[in-house]
Amino acid sequence: VPTIAVDAMGGDHAPDEVVKGVAQVSLATDIECVLVGDESRIQAVLEGVSYNPEHISILHSRDAIGMAEEPREAVKRRDASLVVGVRAVAEGRADAVVSAGNTGACILACAKHFRVLRGIRRAALASVYPRQREHPGQDSLALILDVGATVRCDAEELVQFAVMGSAYARRISKVSSPAVGLLNMGSEEMKGGETLVEAHRRLRQFPGINFVGNVEGNELVRGRADVIVCEGFVGNVALKLIEGVSEVLYDITSAAGERRVAWRLGLRLLSRGIERLRALTDYTQYGGSPILGFEHLLIKCHGRSEAHAIRNAVKVAAKAVRDRVPAEIADAVTASR
Amino acid sequence: MRLRRARTPPTPSRPAPPLLCRWDLDKTYLRSEFDTLRSLLRTAFEKAEDKIDVPGVAELIKALKATAERRGRTALVYFVSASPPQIGGAIRKKLELDGIPYDGIVFKDQLGHIKRGKLRNLREHVGFKLAELFRGRLEAPPDARELLFGDDWESDSLIYSLYADILAGHLAAAPLTAILMRIRVDPLLVAEVIDLATRVSGRDAVERIFINLERRTPPATFRLFGPRVVPTFNYFQTAVVLAVMGRLRLEDVTRIGTVLVERSGYTARRLDNSLDDLVRRGYLTLPAAERLAAPLRATGLLSLPTPRTRWRRMLVRLGRWRPRRSKARPVTSAGALDYDAILARVQPAARHAAASGGTP
Repeated sequence: VPTIAVDAMGGDHAPDEVVKGVAQVSLATDIECVLVGDESRIQAVLEGVSYNPEHISILHSRDAIGMAEEPREAVKRRDASLVVGVRAVAEGRADAVVSAGNTGACILACAKHFRVLRGIRRAALASVYPRQREHPGQDSLALILDVGATVRCDAEELVQFAVMGSAYARRISKVSSPAVGLLNMGSEEMKGGETLVEAHRRLRQFPGINFVGNVEGNELVRGRADVIVCEGFVGNVALKLIEGVSEVLYDITSAAGERRVAWRLGLRLLSRGIERLRALTDYTQYGGSPILGFEHLLIKCHGRSEAHAIRNAVKVAAKAVRDRVPAEIADAVTASR
Repeated sequence: MRLRRARTPPTPSRPAPPLLCRWDLDKTYLRSEFDTLRSLLRTAFEKAEDKIDVPGVAELIKALKATAERRGRTALVYFVSASPPQIGGAIRKKLELDGIPYDGIVFKDQLGHIKRGKLRNLREHVGFKLAELFRGRLEAPPDARELLFGDDWESDSLIYSLYADILAGHLAAAPLTAILMRIRVDPLLVAEVIDLATRVSGRDAVERIFINLERRTPPATFRLFGPRVVPTFNYFQTAVVLAVMGRLRLEDVTRIGTVLVERSGYTARRLDNSLDDLVRRGYLTLPAAERLAAPLRATGLLSLPTPRTRWRRMLVRLGRWRPRRSKARPVTSAGALDYDAILARVQPAARHAAASGGTP
């Protein structure tokens, strides 16, 4: 049974929503959760919700890292809940960490306490997002990496991201040969500057990677690639754009209903479809973003995550542990060298 | 290991007062299913061999009786169930199969209510159970101490608390009548309950009320019932609290834990977590938990402590660690509970009616 350390104090709605999410997990699964944070605050929330104490333990820590704190300084505080959780995994007391806290601190805490997989130069923050399916049976989610762990990177690092993303998709999405695309400003292989041209050349020749070439922004949400590789800066902008567009679309739809009765009736007729669209674009369904490249996993949830999102993140973390994702990545990296 | 005894050891001149253990049946002793009509019918016609008891309950009942008798006191086990007497045969056989020694069992005459056209009484159990508890009390030795066991499916915490407060003399007939009327107990039954209540009142006899959180009701829900009510998630937790009270021996706790591990798939980690949960909820002090856990770890029932836990234990011994809940909750309450608040919480409809001045 996987043991997942959960940073109870990380996120905009911590500890309430984090604890509630873990409580939901404890009732529905046999996953062992270690809530890391202020014990009295965690317990106060826990006692007010349904939970199964047999699957929950609390690791007390007095400190917590704020969302706006400078990560480099913050991770030096050894009693911060995130750092305590990461250390618990590094020391073998848990198998993976889940946090909705400060993204930079999450990455730095992993870098400080986890060993980087042999051959990996830089870790990557990956994220799943909804996309159009091009053929039946295709996963409705694609993986994009990096979305913020590294701002800029070279061709070799992009190739490693492709290897890691491909391994993750093989295990989690159960795609035997995931299609890997390189996010670029044009489909031609000479586009995007020196780094991307070199990355394209290497990926095309790389054995074991199903490289489908460059992918433009408008193709991100189509089903051409299962894994999108890019620099952290670009990936973060792209991901936030997808999130923002879906939120705005939903807001516009809701506002339209308030203007005219006829539109309201129309929306009522379309309500099931709109709800499906909303569910598809709802980041809380996808269970957070893994930080790949270390011997252990940290699943980073959206800062605004509520109980539902935390619950899914813990489940994804447990699935990744059960499916031995870090080992799969390590094998893939070793094979590629 | 020595556990604190709740009472002074018996002396030859004055025998220890008997212990009365009253148990609810469904969801407390048995894992009865009645969420749907189909499962209700299945439960009604189920054979004794097919009935499933809640893990650890049979060992707990046997241990309570055996421990009391070993200490020279009588322990009486009674079941009070709102199920109809028609299932009595299967229940008695199940008790026999589980080797549970019991001294009495009462069922609710549901058919009688149907015949009299009192259909509301079919689902209303407060009046019935209170009346039966009082009757049992009248037949018991006057100095008997009581432990009550129920679950979170119906109103066991309310029924048992009312009963305990009446016995202790914290609740008079008039407020009890108002409470029973408010929860719409049959007026005939109210009169009967009040009559019985006036005859038993005057001796604070209920030590603890254990509520099996079968539905995983949030424990905070039971705060209004005071420290006398102990909501527990499994019978290992119940056994631990009883051991600290001096009602069970460490060997009994070990046996119940072993049964959970061997028959119900529990792990050392799950038992560890259950113990920690009791400490966090204030039903057990950390030093008491440590004293209890050490021999259980030695038997392999609990997992070995991590370096962090070992460090914490050492600090506890040195008196340098002051856990957030270093004191267990006090057991006795000074007076009657705030039943207005309790009913407002469990019966929102009654609250609205009361607020508008009407009788709910």
